[in-house]
Amino acid sequence: MNAPDRYEAILLAPGESKIDVEVDTRLPSAAIFTFRKEDHTLGNMLRHRLLKTAHVIFAAYRVPHPLTPEFQLRIQTDGEVTPRQAVINASEALIKDLGILSREFTKEFELRKAANAANQQQQQSTAE
Amino acid sequence: MDYEMDLEPTGPQVTVREAEPYRVDFRLTAVDLSFANSLRRVILAEVPTLALDIIEIESNTSVLPDEFLAHRLGMIPLNSYNCDQDLDYTRDCDCEDHCVRCSVTLSLHARCSSGIMSVYARDLVVVGERINDKIGDPVTTDPENKGSLICKLRKGQEIKMTCLAKKGTAKEHAKWAPTAAVGFEYDPNNNLRHVDYWYEQDPVKEWPISENAAWEPAANPDQPFDYDAEPNCFYFDVESIGNLEPDMIIQQGIVALQRKLATTVSVLLGEGEDGHGGGADDAEMMGANDPDAYEPPEGIDGNMTAYGNGAASAWGASAQTPYGATPYGQSSYGF
Repeated sequence: MNAPDRYEAILLAPGESKIDVEVDTRLPSAAIFTFRKEDHTLGNMLRHRLLKTAHVIFAAYRVPHPLTPEFQLRIQTDGEVTPRQAVINASEALIKDLGILSREFTKEFELRKAANAANQQQQQSTAE
Repeated sequence: MDYEMDLEPTGPQVTVREAEPYRVDFRLTAVDLSFANSLRRVILAEVPTLALDIIEIESNTSVLPDEFLAHRLGMIPLNSYNCDQDLDYTRDCDCEDHCVRCSVTLSLHARCSSGIMSVYARDLVVVGERINDKIGDPVTTDPENKGSLICKLRKGQEIKMTCLAKKGTAKEHAKWAPTAAVGFEYDPNNNLRHVDYWYEQDPVKEWPISENAAWEPAANPDQPFDYDAEPNCFYFDVESIGNLEPDMIIQQGIVALQRKLATTVSVLLGEGEDGHGGGADDAEMMGANDPDAYEPPEGIDGNMTAYGNGAASAWGASAQTPYGATPYGQSSYGF
């Protein structure tokens, strides 16, 4: 009845921006990024990688309310890179890692399938 | 202090322990908890599949009401082969209502002439054209290839309906889920003490040991506790429903994550160029429909094309990739 449409959790509303960057003026080189229609899947992954990235002093995320599909990511850097650039670097590093994961998985999966097939053949030949 | 590159010199490592037609069990190492958890979350909720979405009922004289039948039909797993590449979301498609590029039409017609008749998922037949020759077939995993039971009819009862299958993700409705379950475990010996076991006398005696405990050593009880230790080894057990092959589910999940990150990069880069926000064209700024919006950085090959040009898909391409010849062969990731 008054339930929001389910696609509202996935699709950006007309005119809504995916990411808003708000500069945090209380501290040098700090910013708060608001990601719309995203959740812990992206938030936690980015946060963790940012903490391991050079020049990032602080990185944390929060989901202000579980019913609103957005999260806020707050970053402070040491001034060598902008917070925006830090997020870009972290994302690119993650994309790279996912690429490696994809390749590794394909390789290992094919190996396992080949091993299974060989096992089956062996079993068949011993049964005969 | 440029430790960005040597942080994980080899990147994620995978050991596939079991590969069955509907299941894959693997161990993921050299990643952090958030990375593994994001992979788990994305394959549960954001891998696109095909499911019946709109049911047009022509005749229903069975004992089940129309809504009841429509709900049951929605839950039937349909073959989603190459769904991500071949099929568009209906909302993104250029067509008026629906077309071959964004939907599959199935028809169900059953009439009972005597006794009791069971209507099964295999009675759903694809009508008209479809984008590839597998997509939309009902999944049948039982020995007789019947599929799930839709309803039972008594003599003279009839159901006749046209069903429209669309692409979607489990985030929108659970009927689009590709997995029945995703097993996820780390640190089976509880070396990191993330778990505080409840017990009566002795937790070691009262709690069963996980099978995965054989894959890594237990901490020496005489050693002091390592407060800085982080989990880096994860055990996945992905169980497919049958609409996508288990390895496809993982690959699609990876692509979905890469797309999210690539969108982030392209939005942030796009904003940087024209001041703040821009807002002139949100759709273009998103880069979602624009293959040129984001140039992948050096060292990334076919995997990135998944959202760029669909032809060279992440899984399709990497299956044939000679590992030595990729950019990784020369880069710091050296295989």
